[in-house]
Amino acid sequence: MQKNQGLDERILVNQLKQGDETAFKTIVANWQDMVYNTALGIVQNAEDAEDIAQEVFVQVYQSINSFKGDSKFSTWLYRITITKSLDHERRKKRKKRFAFVKSLFGEESEVVIHPPDFNHPGVVLDKKEDAAALFAAIAGLPENQRIAFTLHKVEGLSYQEVSDVMKTTVSSVESLMHRARINLKKLLEVYYKEKG
Amino acid sequence: MEHKKTIDAKIERALEGLDGIQRAAAQPWLYSRVMGRLQREEKTVWESIGSFLSKPAVAMAGLTTILVLNLFVLFKQNSLQDATAVAGANQGVQITDSESIIASNSSFDYENLVQP
Repeated sequence: MQKNQGLDERILVNQLKQGDETAFKTIVANWQDMVYNTALGIVQNAEDAEDIAQEVFVQVYQSINSFKGDSKFSTWLYRITITKSLDHERRKKRKKRFAFVKSLFGEESEVVIHPPDFNHPGVVLDKKEDAAALFAAIAGLPENQRIAFTLHKVEGLSYQEVSDVMKTTVSSVESLMHRARINLKKLLEVYYKEKG
Repeated sequence: MEHKKTIDAKIERALEGLDGIQRAAAQPWLYSRVMGRLQREEKTVWESIGSFLSKPAVAMAGLTTILVLNLFVLFKQNSLQDATAVAGANQGVQITDSESIIASNSSFDYENLVQP
């Protein structure tokens, strides 16, 4: 089954390299949820995640020739999605800082404030509140820990798959996950203490 | 003590908050949005050339090349003029202007002209 999937992937990629738009449509249909869900896990905003998903597929279309097939197509897609999501976050932070500076000088500007309780649509109903607290804590993790934790917990990737995406070893991923868990505990403790 | 236990329990519960999570689905119109973006981003050949040439590194490299070529031609021309002037001086004629230099470099032998 997995072998067939790999073969299908290669066929689709080769067809897209030849400019086949039907192949591109199939690629988008097959991987759009994976890309969207990963972006959503990182940026924690549905609109931004959709925007990022579009950017990812535009880049796939434009730079498919740079995909040499050394890794799985999905691994390549994960990497593009993570890069785009982190770029998007940095841009947003820069905008926020700029808006803040402008507000100091008395100029009118719209400061975008995210609600702290992001609700992922795939979370089980009775865990909504716990998941919202966890997502808020995840947002406070260092980048590498956040990516490893999101790929493993939100996308359900194995440590091996996470290490492939992050171009690192399985033991590094284990270490990242361990540190992420420690940091999350600290962040959640602060959150629950403040909440009372 | 009891409070700490409650908080620890909450933390443990929160850490399990993503267990059983389902993948979020993208909007069904994603493909058409992507195609729309691609059409907007499609550049003509001239736009591509323009954006390539306007890159600071490319523009600087181009300007430097032109400058170096100009200096090279100028230097070559000066050394050629000097050499011709020296040759003219050796022949007892002081040649300074460029028209005379060109005239002295080209000779036309009327006497040995082959008639048709």
